[in-house]
Amino acid sequence: MADVNAIAASVESLKQHFEQHNYICSDQIATAVYLAFHLNKPILIEGPPGVGKTELAKTTAEMFALPMIRLQCYEGLDEAKAIYEWKYGKQLLYTQVLKEALDEVLDGAKGFTQSVKRLHEFGDIFFSEEFLEPRPLMKALQEDDGCVLLIDEIDKSDHEFESMLLEILSDFQISIPEIGTIKANKEPPMVFLTSNNTREISDALKRRCLHLYIPFPDIDLEQRIIHARVPEVPEELRRQMVEFIHELRGLDLKKVPAISETIDWARTLLLLHTESLEPKLVKDTLNVILKFQEDIENVEAELTSITNKIRK
Amino acid sequence: MERELTNFIRALRMADVRVSTAETLDAMNTLELVGYRDREFLKHSLSLVLPKTADEKETFDRCFDEFFTFEELSGERDSTEADTQGEAGEDADGEGGEGSGGQRPPGEPASGRKKKSKAKKPNNLYEEEPEEDLGPGEMSEASGALSQLLMSNSKVDLTVAMAKAGEAIGVRDIKIFTQKGLYTRRIMDEMGLADLNQEISTLREAPSVPSRRLGQELKRRRDWLREQVRDYVERQFLLNADVSGRKLREELLRKVKLSNVEHRNFRLIQEMVFKMAKKLTTMHSRRKKVFKKGALNVPRTLRHNMSYDGAIFDLHWKSVKIDRPKVFAICDVSGSVATYARFMLMFLYSLDEVMPKVRSFAFSSDLAEVTDLFNRNKIEDAIAKVLRDYAGGSTDYGQAFKDFRKLCMDDVDNRTTIIILGDARNNYGEANAEILKEMYDRSKRVIWLNPESRVSWNTGDSEMRKYGAYSHQVDECNSLMHLERVVGNLLKQTT
Repeated sequence: MADVNAIAASVESLKQHFEQHNYICSDQIATAVYLAFHLNKPILIEGPPGVGKTELAKTTAEMFALPMIRLQCYEGLDEAKAIYEWKYGKQLLYTQVLKEALDEVLDGAKGFTQSVKRLHEFGDIFFSEEFLEPRPLMKALQEDDGCVLLIDEIDKSDHEFESMLLEILSDFQISIPEIGTIKANKEPPMVFLTSNNTREISDALKRRCLHLYIPFPDIDLEQRIIHARVPEVPEELRRQMVEFIHELRGLDLKKVPAISETIDWARTLLLLHTESLEPKLVKDTLNVILKFQEDIENVEAELTSITNKIRK
Repeated sequence: MERELTNFIRALRMADVRVSTAETLDAMNTLELVGYRDREFLKHSLSLVLPKTADEKETFDRCFDEFFTFEELSGERDSTEADTQGEAGEDADGEGGEGSGGQRPPGEPASGRKKKSKAKKPNNLYEEEPEEDLGPGEMSEASGALSQLLMSNSKVDLTVAMAKAGEAIGVRDIKIFTQKGLYTRRIMDEMGLADLNQEISTLREAPSVPSRRLGQELKRRRDWLREQVRDYVERQFLLNADVSGRKLREELLRKVKLSNVEHRNFRLIQEMVFKMAKKLTTMHSRRKKVFKKGALNVPRTLRHNMSYDGAIFDLHWKSVKIDRPKVFAICDVSGSVATYARFMLMFLYSLDEVMPKVRSFAFSSDLAEVTDLFNRNKIEDAIAKVLRDYAGGSTDYGQAFKDFRKLCMDDVDNRTTIIILGDARNNYGEANAEILKEMYDRSKRVIWLNPESRVSWNTGDSEMRKYGAYSHQVDECNSLMHLERVVGNLLKQTT
């Protein structure tokens, strides 16, 4: 297991380790992980889609050699799917099997009150941890050596679910009515929440988290990211590609291309053995980076001027 | 430093970044962890803890830069300045001897000497005595508290001392910019200016060269400090007074008639509209979830009833969301009402997160649908285009209603809310109120917003009485406050 504390000793070392895992990050991002590690606070990551929000959590897990538990949020997600559920089948089965044993227990008991009293002596066997089916959130708390918990796209979930998260985020514990409070084992999990900002996250949740906003990277950083992810792309092409993408982000598009699209594009161009950006080629591969027909049409109109500008 | 942090948070709050007490505590913990020696690191760290939206982060960056600036007291700058001073001294010596105390030749007339020194150093206006050239070399130790601080080259400690002094004299109470000089002076006094001056003058009279050298250096650093303090006061003024001034201005703008808003305030109003829209959005996004009980949700019911031995008595229903109602906004964009229409449309479209589907129409004489413009352009551009294309021409409500009937009367149903913004001044034309009646009958609500004050309704060519009869609700609406109330009510009813 990697020495977690050594890696997280400073922001610089975090940056280097991220880089070793092919995740090029800014100071801001490394600082966020540093603080989250030392203050034991969840990070709420916001930013446009495709800038590496989920990737950050994955890479962190990889870097610290911790298991990653992921909870994908969606509308209608409730505690039965996120925290725990009783194993109803098992409960039913056991009651059937144990019917006879129950008879023995109740043997000789006179009257209703006495029977119930005897049953009470056995406690709440059917509502113990044996019959509990842990879901991602609880699993994360039960990991012995800590883990990385990724709660993805929290903005897709309902308000009620958000409020439910508050307990686990601030105290790393969950209250289950039948059993009591379950606390995190020695190491609390590192929690990452991501949001695409389709709706406002409540203040209560935000207050409990560090808030990291990942914007689109600048030209230099994006080139390094491409270099790390698709190292085979020749340098000149890489420069042209990234500049082209940055030009596109300046345009008025329905969905501007993100880093993930740049990476896809780089792979595409590599496959086509491209040396430099030709207008025709760009036109043919535009559908890799733009996801709306309207956007593609808009960009095609200005294609020549952009490519000329880039090739200088 | 903790004090400084709370002050910084206060400044953030002034600048509309919401910082809770819990977050303040987090910031303290963060500060403990990262320390404050590395400015960038501190900035990054605090920007993770305090601001919680992308917008707030921008505000935070600005506030941080303003709040924690301190000009470098670097060795480089020191040496270059010392050089120029040294040169000046040398020149003067060559021209006839210049220096303080006994080094001056007795025959030299005092006035000429003064003139010369002033010509050489026009910047040092308050300098009464010229500097003697002592050359580089060792200096004696400073003795006073402030002088030691100055000589220690630690800008952090100096900042802390300055902030402490500022705190002691209540620099945050500064309200108008003419007070800057006063507060600068007070802070300097608080930091121990009197002692420092005393020390400098003693040192300069001192017989030993290192002491005099120290005196010179201290004097230079004192002047530098004065500038720093002035900047500090200036920042405090910007952070505290300016923001509260802005608050005041916003408060006023909320109540002022929209047609009277000066052009230079448009941007501010726009920001306010977005802010108000955001407030309404957060208020109403919670209420959006209206569920209707529908069909039985079999899997859910089974799962929940397993614990009751499979006896199904706790039923669960599929919840169905009521689909979104529609809002039609019809805006008069002729000259007199155009400004109101601008803000009304801005408001409606800023609310797209919670607002049901909005279709908008603009008219002065002929009516046309402009929804598409808003879908394709940014709000501001769309409004500018609407005003450019449809304003002008004399108002004709009758024609506009006719056009509306032709265009989309069929789309009006009992889930539709129609908002009409206009002064109902029809230039004595045909009112066509029966079309409005038809709209009234078919729709859920017709809301008429009139930017004129109630007194002037029904005077002259205003048809407000006729139109008012066929509206569910008639409101005066000419300030942001009115607008906020109307849209707030609208959201309550439509969502």
